[in-house]
This record gives sequence, C-alpha cells and structure tokens, in this order.
Amino acid sequence: MSGWTEARALLARDLQLAFRRLGQTLLPLFFLFAVVVLIPLGVGPGPDLLARLSGGMLWVAALLASLLALEHLFRPDLDDGSLEQWFVGRREGYLAVYVRLLAYWLVTGLPIVLFSPLAAMMLNLPTQALGTLVLSLLIGTPALTLVGGLAAALTLTTRGAGALLAILVFPLVVPLMIFAAGAVGLAADGFSPAAHLGLLAAFTILCLTLAPIGIRAALKTNLE
Amino acid sequence: MIWSTLKLWFHKLGSPPIFSVFARRVAPWLWAAFFACTLYGVYLALYVAPPDYQQSDSARILYIHVPAAWQAMLAYVIMAVLAAIALIWRIRTAEIMAMAAAPIGAALTLICLVTGSLWGKPMWGTWWEWDARLTSMLVLLFIYVGIMALYAAYDDPRKGARVASVLVIAGLVNLPIIHFSVEWWTTLHQGQTIRIFGESKMDPSMIPPLIWTTLGTKFLFGAALLDRARNLLLAQDQHKAWVRRELAPALDDRKQPA
Amino acid sequence: MIPELNYAPFVWSSYGVFAAVCAWQFLAPLIRRRRLTRQIREQLEEERAAAAVGRPAPRS
Repeated sequence: MSGWTEARALLARDLQLAFRRLGQTLLPLFFLFAVVVLIPLGVGPGPDLLARLSGGMLWVAALLASLLALEHLFRPDLDDGSLEQWFVGRREGYLAVYVRLLAYWLVTGLPIVLFSPLAAMMLNLPTQALGTLVLSLLIGTPALTLVGGLAAALTLTTRGAGALLAILVFPLVVPLMIFAAGAVGLAADGFSPAAHLGLLAAFTILCLTLAPIGIRAALKTNLE
Repeated sequence: MIWSTLKLWFHKLGSPPIFSVFARRVAPWLWAAFFACTLYGVYLALYVAPPDYQQSDSARILYIHVPAAWQAMLAYVIMAVLAAIALIWRIRTAEIMAMAAAPIGAALTLICLVTGSLWGKPMWGTWWEWDARLTSMLVLLFIYVGIMALYAAYDDPRKGARVASVLVIAGLVNLPIIHFSVEWWTTLHQGQTIRIFGESKMDPSMIPPLIWTTLGTKFLFGAALLDRARNLLLAQDQHKAWVRRELAPALDDRKQPA
Repeated sequence: MIPELNYAPFVWSSYGVFAAVCAWQFLAPLIRRRRLTRQIREQLEEERAAAAVGRPAPRS
C-alpha cells in the first residue's frame, strides 16, 4: 500500500468516526459559543467595550475550545491497540501522526474558523477586522492542534490528563496568542495586520515541522 | 589523553552508585561555596555598595533579582542538555539530573518574579507590570511547573522522565520565540516604563557584589542538583543492594536502640 | 543606616524571600533523604523478620 492510499484510508476512517459521533465532535464549537454568551454576561453588554475585547476573547475561547477533545486524540487508538500499528515494520509513524492531526483539525478547528464570523458579530467585532479574524484563525488553529497534539501525546498514559493538558499547552502557545490577537487588534484599529499574520504563519510552519517529531517521540516512549 | 580521561569520568558518572558517592562527597563543598559567596555578596550589596543615583536603595534588590534570573535561564539550558543526553543515549543519570533541575529552576524563577514584583512596587508603583522580562519569566515558571507535573503524573519514573525530556526540548525551541513575541507585544501595548537596566551603564562599584551573588546562585544550583538527583536515584533503586550499602551508616546507627 | 526608610521593607523582604527559597532548596533534599532512609529501614526490618520465620521477603 503506497503512502498516499494509506493516508487516504486513515483520513477517511477518522472522518467517518467523527461523523458517527457528530454531537461529541461539535462539542468544541458549542463550547466556543458558550464562552461567547458568557463574555457579555461577565463584562456587560456595552458595544464599545465588547468591540475592544472581542478579538482577544475569541482567540482565548478558541484556545480553550481546542483543549476540550484533546484527551481523545490518541487515547482510543492506545486502548484498542491500533496505535502500535503506526510504528510497525518500516513505518516511521509520521504519516499516521500527520493524518490524525489533519483529521482532528478538520473536525474541531475548521468548524471554529467557519463559525467565527457569527461569534464575532455577536461580540460586536469591528467589521474591518472580520476578515483578519477568520484568516488568523485559519492560520493559527492548525498550530493549536499541533501543540495540543504534542501535549496529548506527552500525557497519553498519565492519570487524569485533563488539567495537565491545559498547563502544558498554555505556555507553548503564548506567541500564537500574541501574534493572532495582535493581528485582530491592529485590523480593528484600522492598521495593517500583515506583519502579525506573517509571524503567525511562521509559528504555524515551525509547529508543522517540529511538533510531529516530538509527538512521535512521546507516543513511542509511552508505548514502551 | 585529557579527552579519554573526561570520557571515562563521564561514563563513570553514568553509573548510579558512582554518581551517588560523587554527589555525597561534592555537594557539601558546593553548599559551603554557596554560603560563602552569597554571604559575602549580600554583605557587599547591603553595606558596601552605594545607593543607586536614580533608584536609591531599592536598586539593592538587583543583586539577587538579576543573578536569580540568569541562573533560572541557565538552569533551563542545562536541563535541556541533560534531557537531550537522556533521550539520545538513554543514560539514566542524565534523565534523573534533568528532572532534578526542574524544581531548582522553578525556585530561581520564583525568586526572580517575587523580587521583581517587590522592586516594581516602589519603582513603577505597581506590584505587577506586564513588562517583557517579567512576563517571559512568568511563562518560564509555567513551563517548569508543567515539566514537574508531567514527570509526577507517570507511575513509572523512567517513562515520566523521558516524556518530560521531550517537553523540555519543546520548551527550549519555544522559549526564544516566547521571549521575542512578548518583547514585541509589550512595545506595542505599553507606554513608557522605567528601564531597570537597559542602556544605562552600571557603576563600577555595583559589579563586585553582583559577581559574588551570581557565583552564589551557580553553586546553589549545582549543590541542590546533586542532592536532588542523588535522592531520586536512591528512591528509584531502593530495593537494590548498592543503595543499602550506600545508606548503611544512616541505616545502622538508628537500629541500635531497637 | 543601611537602606533608606521607604525602600527598606521592599529590599528586606526581597532578601527574605531569597533566603527562604535558598533554605528550602537546602532542606528539601535532606528531609526527602531522611524519609527515604526510614522507608528502607522499615523494609529491611520486614525482610529480617520474614527471614527469621523462613518466609520469602515481602517486596513493598
């Protein structure tokens, strides 16, 4: 089986499983909207205040939402033994890792990107920043998935990984938060967010190349 | 010749019993050096060094704040080197030393943050300023805590140490980016803050106390690292004969009354 | 007098925190080692008691 067909088969399986449990799959999205409802309840519904806060708040909400399902990123495969198959024979395991992360992003990250304009309007984000918000989420959420994947692999066989996941992810995504929320803030103030978005993309590319190395090392150590 | 001696020494320290004896003998000297350097440095800092031209006596906090910050960062680099050795050559002593370095690094980061805050109150008028340095140190503290928590979350300490070593390396890659991004962020968001050192030149009289307290933190790190690493080794091997031999004096003298 | 009046509490509490954390770094390994020694001693005594009646030593 060539790498390409194998990747397609793995991706199809992951997506099929995700669609079969649609309610669970969309939980991060519902969580995002729960936060969106809570913010005005917490800080007051004043449109000016919300406009100032919304960019950063939406990014914080996206980060928190991305943590929700992480525990199940590799755990089911560990439990049914298929995780070991990723590294059997001449396989390096990178293909399976990348495909799994892609599938995970498609079902948890992409919906957030697609529905973010709705959330942004509910929080009164200035219209000129809307495009930047969607673009920053499109560039940035894959990095969230990659760093989250690293944290999930690191905590694979620990007891009670939930809180630990958040502690591990948060410091590593500080640059992401700064570049992304900075881009949205600049766009809202009418400046060009290009530099911030470029740095955001650089961070995502760095994660894209390096995170799977760490994920693979952590998974293999956990399987020993 | 020198190289082969070094290599032999390195391999010997990889053996837990030899490392334990080495740590037992060397750590007290490092503690002594730490106390000597720190006491002399603190004496110079509090009694001999003149008050700063602008910041008066509050600048005396510098003599512990800055060495702690330096050593907190150096501790991370040392921990990362040890973690890399642990992952590549699977030397158990390196694994254990990397894990022993994390709480010390966290403690030094904490000193840096608390003294920074205590310095900030009289200087900036606030306990916490989202200053680039303080913010990156806070993130560093969280990374240290994450490493310790991850190591503790595994029942098998060897597995925990190797997994946490992966996190150490990931943090090493990320730390410069974090520092850069935070610096960038503060220049965008913040108005003027007083630069604690920045461009201003240090008076020559400020150098000696700084050197002594800096040396002190190096010895503190080394001593605590040996002590903690030895403890972790003893605990992991507590059923093995070498641990009982190593602890024989302590085990014996309490047995007499019973 | 050493530090000026209004800065003194900040300077002294900084050095106090430093001293406290250093002391903790010094004491924590000692406490840990003492606990470990006690643990091993108990284990040894158990083993000895077990050997006296001819049972295999329990491993805790």
